[in-house]
Amino acid sequence: MNKRSFGVLAPVVLWLSFFMVIPMLAVIFVSFMQRDNLGNIVWTFSLDNYARFFEPLYLGIYWDTIWLSVLTTVFCLLLSYPLAYYMTTLGPKAQKFWLIGITVPFWINFLIRTYAWIILLRTQGVVNSLLMDIGLISEPLQMLYTQGAVLLGMVYTFIPYMVLPIYVSLEQMDKRLLEASSDLGASRWRSFWHITLPQTKSGMMTGSVLVFVTTTGMFVVADILGGAKSQMISNIIQNQFLGARDWPFGSALSVIFVISSLVIIGLFNRALRSSYDSSKEAKA
Amino acid sequence: MKKLKWYAVILAGLLAVTALAGCSSKSQETLNLYSWADNFDMDVIKKFEDENNVKVNYAIFANNEELLAKIKAGGSEYDLIQPSDYMVASMIKQDLLAELDLKNIPNFKNVADRFKNPEFDPGNKHSIIYTSGVTGIAYNTKYVKEPITSWADLWSEKYKGKVLLLEDNREVIGMALKKAGKSNSTTNEADINAAVDDLRKLVPHVLAFDTDSIKQKMMQEEGWIGTLWSGDAAYVKAENPDVEYVVPKEGGTIWSDNYAIPKGAKNKALAEKFINFMLDPENSAKNYESIGYSDPNTAAKSFHSKEYNDNKMINLSEDELGRTEWLLDVGDKIQLYDRLWTELKSGR
Amino acid sequence: MKTAQASKRHPWLSIHSFLLMAFIYIPVLLIIVFSFNDSRMSTSWSGFTWKWYSTLFDNRTVMEALSNSLTIAFTSTIISTVLGTMAALAIRKMQNRGKQGVIGLLYMPIVVPDIIMGLSLLILFSQLKMDLGKMTVIIAHITFSISYVYVIVSSRLANMGKQLEEAANDLGASSWQTFRFVTLPSIWPGVIAGALIAFTLSIDDFMISFFVSGPNSTTLPIYIYGSVKRGISPEINALCTIMIVVSVMLIILAQWLLGRGKSDKEKGGSLLPF
Repeated sequence: MNKRSFGVLAPVVLWLSFFMVIPMLAVIFVSFMQRDNLGNIVWTFSLDNYARFFEPLYLGIYWDTIWLSVLTTVFCLLLSYPLAYYMTTLGPKAQKFWLIGITVPFWINFLIRTYAWIILLRTQGVVNSLLMDIGLISEPLQMLYTQGAVLLGMVYTFIPYMVLPIYVSLEQMDKRLLEASSDLGASRWRSFWHITLPQTKSGMMTGSVLVFVTTTGMFVVADILGGAKSQMISNIIQNQFLGARDWPFGSALSVIFVISSLVIIGLFNRALRSSYDSSKEAKA
Repeated sequence: MKKLKWYAVILAGLLAVTALAGCSSKSQETLNLYSWADNFDMDVIKKFEDENNVKVNYAIFANNEELLAKIKAGGSEYDLIQPSDYMVASMIKQDLLAELDLKNIPNFKNVADRFKNPEFDPGNKHSIIYTSGVTGIAYNTKYVKEPITSWADLWSEKYKGKVLLLEDNREVIGMALKKAGKSNSTTNEADINAAVDDLRKLVPHVLAFDTDSIKQKMMQEEGWIGTLWSGDAAYVKAENPDVEYVVPKEGGTIWSDNYAIPKGAKNKALAEKFINFMLDPENSAKNYESIGYSDPNTAAKSFHSKEYNDNKMINLSEDELGRTEWLLDVGDKIQLYDRLWTELKSGR
Repeated sequence: MKTAQASKRHPWLSIHSFLLMAFIYIPVLLIIVFSFNDSRMSTSWSGFTWKWYSTLFDNRTVMEALSNSLTIAFTSTIISTVLGTMAALAIRKMQNRGKQGVIGLLYMPIVVPDIIMGLSLLILFSQLKMDLGKMTVIIAHITFSISYVYVIVSSRLANMGKQLEEAANDLGASSWQTFRFVTLPSIWPGVIAGALIAFTLSIDDFMISFFVSGPNSTTLPIYIYGSVKRGISPEINALCTIMIVVSVMLIILAQWLLGRGKSDKEKGGSLLPF
């Protein structure tokens, strides 16, 4: 790396070292400590907090969280890709309009949006009334406070995190390749599968990482739309600070959470790099 | 050179931020109030500001534990906070509260005797009550035809899938303990375990756990029966007259929100002045009339409207208040409560 | 070009996109409708009213929270977009081992749970004896927004060849000129998308803001989370409606203003988002 790019990078590295690394080092330190009856930290070394994570109770909750996040990511990807693709077929003005159109609703407070879903989905809500009026159902459906409602809320919340990166990578795609392939008589699906999809891998990967990681950290949706009947790992973390007053255990859970998330991102990135390299070779 | 340009841009940005953040006026004395949202009538606060030529900064927290974590981690710029009963006890134990000077708060004499000298703060050394309520059962008479008298009624098969519970381990486990005739703050592990085993039978009937918007769920008839605070019940009843409220015969949990001053507050005298102002009968009546919570101020009774004084959910009877119990700090056992609660909700 | 593309558009693609957009806007429409609802509990319809719009402007707490939120969101978006883009550009040029470490560092704010970030920053600020206020909230928001901007801009860079920049260099362009006229225009959509995400995150953040805010810097999410307990006032629906309408109007205005000067958009290279 040359001197100039070091100069460009330095402010960011300094910023994050100061406001992220130093606090996290403190968190790691606390994760090896214990607590007293009042919830104050006792400065004696212990590995108990890490051992506690491996109890079936917490492992099970962690597994549930991962599973929900995988589902959310897959649904977001399947729904967002066609939308992002559609956006790139529009004129430049319309593209920008859609781009902003897709983010503006998310400037409305998250809680307000989520409570709007409650008004829509509850037993005497908008959807049930509509369905009963047209005679599709005779009894209202219990849609709220189910896993389905949680998934819907999650997908809804994270769609822009998927659409934006995919759009960004689709938009720069070399359209001449597509024209060439259709000139050569390739079907629409074949060109999509062999040309478009590989070129937008980085966007899909970025979107998936963002959605996956932020879903694992998001429990308010599960609390509101799921009726707080199930727990996610981030509920447990939060409870240690705002409830059980066990900061060391909460810190240990967070350290495990951060490391496992970074590993997942690393794997994603590796997959991205190897596939990117192979697609470049294929082109050459 | 170009690098310099970038740094200049960033520096300018940062400076602009500092300037923006630092431009608050400091000419007036300010009271930094830290409380629940919409917990005061803003006109009464305005009156206090005008009479004393001060400014009140009203910052907001959403639950007790957030308040504690923030104060503990060094958020020390508040002059007056409003913790609930058990949180007052925890904060006293952790030496986070300053002692009140009751000489500066002569209107303290207006507080009802029942709420003076509470268990969680003997002698009102650190706190004065602001408002209180009791956790009881709310039920919708459209769907619930039997008379409700006991916590055991929540377990009835008839209300399967329509039961609402507070999203709070101490409240719910405490409720099951009261049902079994124990103290809601017991530290006896066998009693706690037995109560949680009992709750395991109730959880499959539960529609949702909720604290903040449980009243909307009652109002909209999503839930038929559930645990509810008396003040919230008054709120629901106003919108949906079918909803009734009862303090079960086994007794319920009483709670209060209080005034307290954190240690190291810069403006302790002004905070005490504010408490005294709010305890003035006329101001008190105007304030509680507007926010709709119960008023512990006996002298204010004559200033309240008839409608307010007649509301049975805001003004609970001595009989109902007589069978209530405060939630006390359970020390180390909070871990057990938390763990059993996690197990209960995750079905493990 | 445009028509050639349009002909390639499958009808199902348009249908899907419009349906998805409708899905996104359904709750928004509901919020707008309920901002005209007479009942204080926004649970069922009980008649049309304008009153929440008039009481909104008298609500001191909400107006202060709104102005705090906007100040914080605009400032943190601008700074984090610049920093995040710089990071993405610099990391792209890195070859050595440090690269993975720096990337890991940049992902940290995304993976650290909000409560940990909020609390640990609060402890840091109080150790430094910094007064809690808008400044501390802005710092916290920049810290997490940098990462999101970086991730999006670098996904744009991942597919970008270096040929153009090298050619510009060979032709004697200074590195500033190369950046200004070659690199920046081609990553611009990524920068805009990154800024949009940064703004969205900032305006909606609760947990971190809660811990690092002071007596004078209550943000809109902090107010809204707090007021759930008493039932969120329809004034908030009115506020959301105004925010949506104003954003849409600003977008249209910007399109119109900037569209007048330029007739030939197809040439691209425009430095402005519209």
